[in-house]
Amino acid sequence: MLRKILWRAYGKSHITGAVAGSLIGFILLLSITQFYFEMKHVLGTNEDLINPEFIVINKQVSVLESLELRTTGFTEAEIETIASQQFVQEVAGFISNDFALSAYTESANFPDFYTDLFFEAVPDEFLDVKSDDWKWKPGQSTIPIILPQDYLNLYNFGFAPSQGLPQISPSLIRLVNFKISIYGKGKQAEYNGKIVGFSNRINSVLVPYAFLSAANKEFGKGQAPRVSRLVIVSKNPADPEIAAFLQNNGYETIKENLKSSRLNIILKFIISFLGGLGILIIFLALLVFILSFQLIINKSADKIRKLSLLGYHYREISRPYILSLSLIISLIALVTSLAMIALKNLFVSFSGEWGMELTNGIHPVVILGGILLLVFITLVNIRAIVKQTKSFSR
Amino acid sequence: MIISLENFIPLPLTGISREESGFWESGGVVLESPGSYLLTAPSGKGKTSLLSMICGVRKDYRGSILIDGTDIRQYGPMDWSEIRKRKISCIYQGLELFDELTALENIQLKNGILGYKTRDEIREMAQALEMDNFLERETGKLSFGQRQRIAIIRALCQPFGFLLADEIFSHLDKKLEKLTFSLISRECAKNRSGLLLTSLHPLGKFNFDKHFIL
Repeated sequence: MLRKILWRAYGKSHITGAVAGSLIGFILLLSITQFYFEMKHVLGTNEDLINPEFIVINKQVSVLESLELRTTGFTEAEIETIASQQFVQEVAGFISNDFALSAYTESANFPDFYTDLFFEAVPDEFLDVKSDDWKWKPGQSTIPIILPQDYLNLYNFGFAPSQGLPQISPSLIRLVNFKISIYGKGKQAEYNGKIVGFSNRINSVLVPYAFLSAANKEFGKGQAPRVSRLVIVSKNPADPEIAAFLQNNGYETIKENLKSSRLNIILKFIISFLGGLGILIIFLALLVFILSFQLIINKSADKIRKLSLLGYHYREISRPYILSLSLIISLIALVTSLAMIALKNLFVSFSGEWGMELTNGIHPVVILGGILLLVFITLVNIRAIVKQTKSFSR
Repeated sequence: MIISLENFIPLPLTGISREESGFWESGGVVLESPGSYLLTAPSGKGKTSLLSMICGVRKDYRGSILIDGTDIRQYGPMDWSEIRKRKISCIYQGLELFDELTALENIQLKNGILGYKTRDEIREMAQALEMDNFLERETGKLSFGQRQRIAIIRALCQPFGFLLADEIFSHLDKKLEKLTFSLISRECAKNRSGLLLTSLHPLGKFNFDKHFIL
């Protein structure tokens, strides 16, 4: 009966507006946070093997190199010149295999496959590999390998469809074991290859530095290592001076790198902007909530006074308002959860087409953050309601 | 239950009615239950103010009001809620009914707090005041006299040590006056509680233990 007396239709449009606002704010904020974690995951598995601050450069190949009149190797002097540039923090050369090398599959579940291959390596500190698999000790028979993402794309979107073969996801290919054969100095050795990741930034087949230097010693022809590629660490890879320097000296890099680091900054900006917008909307919705309830309670001031004359305590009187609030908050929680699940599913269905791998479910930080925010809004409102009701009691 | 006033006077009356009757700012007006008290005075002499001050609704007075020896200024919201539920029942001159509810709903709103009276007892009290045919009507559509009787029945739907009744006969005819007084007296006797009734005119036909004139 209290509810019948106190909860009238006053300010229904305000409440509806506040609910809609909260919903928009919540879904925006939570989905942006989830999106942030997804991007982190996608970038983490695909691109960030080499930090965005790392730039890989090589010399342009012209007819002269093809005729072997000139090599694409960097001389000591050239490396020093590069190291002395003010945008360069550190520089290191790639080393490559000095022996013959081939890979083949022996699995019944995987099409037969054989190829000659090459390996390259950079010191580990130039790689941003979080994988625990990325290490090699003498005597270890499994070699971790990082492949260019393009190789997988070539297979998935070029080779496989034309041959009627199934497409392979990055996580599936990590399960495939294949053999590596090494020949040199009249010796031969067999290793197991294991792909631990894909890189968009380095177009090369990477193995741990420790393995390659040990193998070069054991199987190599003993030639002085030829440095055909360099990795440069730079604080600001978007610096236009870098592009100018590279062009003047006839060096090349994957331009994507320079672009994507800029994209990265823009992406982060957009994410923080939308996140901030979500918070702002939630804040405004919270305000409208409090004001709507105050309006409703204000309009019931005389009824609250009469009820308190009958002996109703202000806590009892505020109960119908708190009940209504709880229902509204539950509605928001329910709709937000459904929307988040729907968005996630939508994203998952797109991600297949984009060749991305997503996280499982919704990130715990998103869930926990959402719950905490709702609890906060509920408590602030309850406090306001009780205070208001008390002020009209006699 | 004892309600006592010590050097008590509502602030709006200070300076206006310097005492003829000896009621205001006196050493001790003591109202004891069981006992019946009549307070008569012309309009604007503080009858309604006194009642709402005893009920804790208004606090603009000088001196003190004691309920069973305790100064009521010490009471918080919880105490007042308890007092209004179990100790003091008041029929306000403004009635304080909810117009959008039916007469019965208004009564149930009070009775529901403690479930003090049964449905039959409520119907029997309504019968006694010739209101049994109006219980399902919307309160806002009843006449003032009818609403007055609903407020009276509602006030009897709780235990009390004192019943405060503010000019409750103002819109009742002689016959209803009599019926109402006998119902109130009966309930007070049942509760062994006190009665403080205010009126513009003396009510010679009814017996009171004490008569204050302001």
